[in-house]
Amino acid sequence: MKFVSILRRTLLPLLTGTALLGIAAPASSADLAAGEKLATERCAACHGKDGNTPIDPSYPRLSGQHEDYLAQAMRAYKQDERKNPIMGAQAKMLSRDDILNLAAHYARLPGMLSHDR
Amino acid sequence: MNACKLPTVLGTPARAGASMEALASTAASVAVAAALAMAPGGAAGQEVKGDAKAAESKIGTCIGCHAIPGYRASFPLVYSVPMINGQSAKYIENSLNAYRSGDRSHPTMKAIAGSLTDQDIADLAAYYGKPLEKK
Repeated sequence: MKFVSILRRTLLPLLTGTALLGIAAPASSADLAAGEKLATERCAACHGKDGNTPIDPSYPRLSGQHEDYLAQAMRAYKQDERKNPIMGAQAKMLSRDDILNLAAHYARLPGMLSHDR
Repeated sequence: MNACKLPTVLGTPARAGASMEALASTAASVAVAAALAMAPGGAAGQEVKGDAKAAESKIGTCIGCHAIPGYRASFPLVYSVPMINGQSAKYIENSLNAYRSGDRSHPTMKAIAGSLTDQDIADLAAYYGKPLEKK
């Protein structure tokens, strides 16, 4: 009985902690608060407050997209590998950390994107 | 011996060559224009309407990467292949067009988009895209 309670007190939190870490923070040291702030200031006007409701159908939904893909896209715009006048200008103002923080923020928002198709 | 006795209207043999080239290039343009006009999806510039149902026979190359959770592009850079289902339709259409024209560079996507007609692209955009809800 005592053994079980020790198990409960030590092993269980340890396991849940690991599981939570694994799901909620996939190997990222990003600053989510900074990402959210930047998203509100720079991205929301076009991509929508929730990242799912862009103001123009040619703009992508960002929320729930893969974190590393979002970062890759911003880097490509920044380096003009992806050519878009608006995003090129926006991305050039972003630092390396800004990009990582934004990608981490949007990847964690609930989205409509899926691998179903 | 003068082997090149051309009518005076064509001028010197060199100029005659140039005219022949011009003629050939005009003929080629006409042929290309005719081919475009007859191609499924119609001539360039014409609005093409996407058909999600028609896309079902065209998604074979898409699902091999985009429908596999955790799949990563491996060349030239390693990163997760984006989720495209549920994306804005117009964005998908623009992306495929950009890969096809070379404005957006990714070797795999350039090769795949290069094999698509305007109609294919419109169909795929209709299939994968979700309309934007009214705010």
